Amino acid sequence: MAKRHAPLTRIELLQGTLDLIILQSLRWGNRHGYGLLQIIRTMSHGVLQVDTGSLYPALHRLEKQRWIEADWELSENNQRVRVYRLTPAGRKQLAVERSKWEQFSTAVAEFFAAPPPEEA
Amino acid sequence: MSPKDRGARNEDLDAEIQSHLDMDARERVARGESPDDAAAAARKEFGNVGIVKDVTRDMWGVGGADQLWREVRYAVRTLVRSPGFAAIAILTLALGIGANTAIFSVVNGVILRPLPYPDPGQLVLITSQFPTLGFDQFPVDAAEFLEFRERNRSFSNVGAYFSTAVNVGGQSSPARVTSALASASLFPTLGVTPEAGRWFTDQETRPNASPVALLSDELWRSNFGGERSIVGRKVDIDGVLTQVVGIMPKGFDIHDQGVRVWLPLTLDPDSINSYRGGHYLNLVGRLKPGISLATARVQLEPLLQHWREIDGGSSDPTQNRVHTPNTKNHRLRYDDLLTDIVGSAGRALWVLQAAVFLVLLIACANLANLLLMRAETRHKELVLRAALGAGRGRLVRQFLAESLVLSVAGAAVGLLVARWGLHALVLSNNAGIPRATRVGLDAHVLVYTLALALGTGVVFGLAPALRLNARSMSLSLREAGSRTTSHASAARVRRALVVLEMAMAVTLLVGAGLLLRSFEKLTRVDSGFDRSQLFTFNLVLPAATYADSVRRVALFEQVDDQLEQVPGVQSATAMSGLPPRRPVNANDTRFEGYVAKPGMPQQNVDYYNYVMPNYFSTMRIPMVEGRSFGPMDGAKSPPVVIVNQTLARLFYPGQNAVGHRIQPGGIVDTAQWFTIVGVAKDVKQGGVDAKTGTEIYLLDQQTPAYEGFAPRNMNVVVRSTLSRDALASSIRRIVASVDPGLPVVGLRSMDEVFDDALARPRFLAELLVIFAAVALALAAVGTYGVLAYSVAERRREIGIRMALGASEGGVLTLVLRQGMLLAGIGLLVGLGGALAVTRVVSSLLFGVQPTDPATFAAVGLFMLAVALVACVVPALRATRVDPLVALRLD
Repeated sequence: MAKRHAPLTRIELLQGTLDLIILQSLRWGNRHGYGLLQIIRTMSHGVLQVDTGSLYPALHRLEKQRWIEADWELSENNQRVRVYRLTPAGRKQLAVERSKWEQFSTAVAEFFAAPPPEEA
Repeated sequence: MSPKDRGARNEDLDAEIQSHLDMDARERVARGESPDDAAAAARKEFGNVGIVKDVTRDMWGVGGADQLWREVRYAVRTLVRSPGFAAIAILTLALGIGANTAIFSVVNGVILRPLPYPDPGQLVLITSQFPTLGFDQFPVDAAEFLEFRERNRSFSNVGAYFSTAVNVGGQSSPARVTSALASASLFPTLGVTPEAGRWFTDQETRPNASPVALLSDELWRSNFGGERSIVGRKVDIDGVLTQVVGIMPKGFDIHDQGVRVWLPLTLDPDSINSYRGGHYLNLVGRLKPGISLATARVQLEPLLQHWREIDGGSSDPTQNRVHTPNTKNHRLRYDDLLTDIVGSAGRALWVLQAAVFLVLLIACANLANLLLMRAETRHKELVLRAALGAGRGRLVRQFLAESLVLSVAGAAVGLLVARWGLHALVLSNNAGIPRATRVGLDAHVLVYTLALALGTGVVFGLAPALRLNARSMSLSLREAGSRTTSHASAARVRRALVVLEMAMAVTLLVGAGLLLRSFEKLTRVDSGFDRSQLFTFNLVLPAATYADSVRRVALFEQVDDQLEQVPGVQSATAMSGLPPRRPVNANDTRFEGYVAKPGMPQQNVDYYNYVMPNYFSTMRIPMVEGRSFGPMDGAKSPPVVIVNQTLARLFYPGQNAVGHRIQPGGIVDTAQWFTIVGVAKDVKQGGVDAKTGTEIYLLDQQTPAYEGFAPRNMNVVVRSTLSRDALASSIRRIVASVDPGLPVVGLRSMDEVFDDALARPRFLAELLVIFAAVALALAAVGTYGVLAYSVAERRREIGIRMALGASEGGVLTLVLRQGMLLAGIGLLVGLGGALAVTRVVSSLLFGVQPTDPATFAAVGLFMLAVALVACVVPALRATRVDPLVALRLD
């Protein structure tokens, strides 16, 4: 379980952005939890690793907020899987979150790009 | 979300996570891993399935029963993992809640439970007062009853009764039972109909009516086999064949007397004036609907003012003794029936309830501390759960669930404790409390216990829950895993709780100490006679077979003579009134040559006592002046009387009472005076804790000649070196040989008689001492626990101090000072609290001031000693800290 201690700091890092990442991933298509983990890993080139302990609570929280919906479907392996999809409300939420994130990351980027302040 | 939905969702979640694991495993197999390895790896990759599910379920929002159930299950699992902690907590709670339940069931049965009559709130006990004689509650006379019943407009009905005892012959040997003579109106007033048969008719309460009786359910079962056919048959009651006309419902009684036989109170409305002055009846009135006791008092005031005029007054000067009720020296008194029955026991019981509640609070404080310490050692787990997204609310709920599981389990065990305690301490013990038969663990008590369980659970569970504020949680994230974390604020809370515990324990100790000292003083009260090796029993001669007074006297003489023949018996005598607690049988008494001056008493004597000649020698009551009764005082020789010191002081201040003459009330020949031949030392008759009243001793042998009657009811007194059992067989044999129909009643040693008289103060002191001891023990354990924890916490610091050369003595002092400082503050606060509240118990104290310095000092010293013991153990442990080990920790 050594791995579980390391994510402690990463969860802090991901808090708030996990919702955004999940919503964005579902925009690309309906997915079950396992599929979401994979696509997040793939699309971020392995940088973003989401913990199951964070993913499932987040999915169920988003579902309760009615930003996503879930249904049982059969997978290609004929297995019953719970598949999530974005709702119209979720789409709006994604836009809001995304613009917030972009503002934030732009601000941070500009902050680092700025020349050192002149000493008085 | 309904529990059903929740169940479905739980299954969904299980399936969802299972599918996740399956998919992961399948891909691993596809990559070439073996199926077993793949499944294990998938599981490992996933993390702790239980916690993930748990935290995910949290996202569904606060749910109903299912969520509660989940918390409870989780709490139980957690507690099972620390059985020691759980056992201590449950045991502490069981004691606290059990004791509370036991006492509450007494409070409930005695004070709160309504009387078993319809609309019992309408029932009023009507008695009278003689302010000038100092009688605050006195019976009324039959004339007053008849007139009151006719003229009052506030009560829908009024009944009268007085209780006495009769000998009942049944299938078994004759039994002596409490009986009540009741007016025909008593039952309609109480609103109770007989279980079988009927109540008396008015005709049956007229003189010369054929004798009838009603039996209580209890007597009907115990002595008449519970056969309904007894109704209509005749039974022997005090030697009179009496027709049973009915059986009363189970538990039916009046004023907690334990009445077993109900007989008609014979009154002739035509001879109303002959009834005046003979106060022996208690009245029970039922207020008309909508009329309160206060309204009734106001409405009845004019009746009291004009009673004499309505009555027509009396022109006969010899009727001076007639006490027509008036507003000045013979008032009527109205009390709520239940309040009057409970009487002074009410305060004692509330004091016990308050005391036992304090004990529970101390237990709660202890548990709060335990949980606080536990929460700190469980920090790691909590931090992990918080990190995974378990909200603060969830963690608070978990703490509460845990404490509630503990408190409900404690309450369940507590019910057993209560059941046992109730029987061991209250019911099997003569507690001297009224309505004891009503005490039990009924639905009200169970509701109280449940409320107590939930209340205590919340109270002690909230402390650690509140500590989970956002700040401490975020701090913890960084400190997770470190055990040296010392939260100054947590330590402050723990110390405050210990101070509070100590303070409450001290307050209780002071209260218990005061009552214990009162009880001790009560046992040392001079009863006025030597009660060692003294035994007594009661004989009542049936009126029918002992109509002749001379025969009555002869019987008691015979019994005494035969008893004195028994080897080991020094002497035997008899008296009508049994000290130390007998009802006032006051009577107007003329004192020859008495001139009433302001400040001088009215011509009345509180206690008339009819005794056999050897009474004073057998009882060893010293004569202060004059002589005792002797052989010169024959049945027909000039009548003599002995008075007690109180009477002599009151009526003959500064003179020798001997030689003066008095005339007892109700005497046949009003020209006949009784000469005082002696003044006897005061004997307690009105209660050990009460002022001695005035008393005269009349010679039983002289009563037939001068008073026209002799008492039927006498207490035989035997001074003997024999044991009670050895004496009992001789007594039974002798009484049976004199009259086989006479039951021997209440055979006890005089010490036992006194014990019974002190039953209530003993009960109160005993229970309070037990509660105070438990409180102090809990507080000591609490102090110990907090100190031990603090020593463990500071092990590193102590190690450094020792490494730097601190002596063992220095370390010992360091820890002791910390503990004793808490104890000292607790002591001061507690003593202050005691000063503030002991006034509440002042009416329960005897010979001790509520601020008694000796008690306060003793409690202080005792408490400090106990606290010192509680502090020494952790302090010694601190001195054994190995600096090297301590420094290597963490």
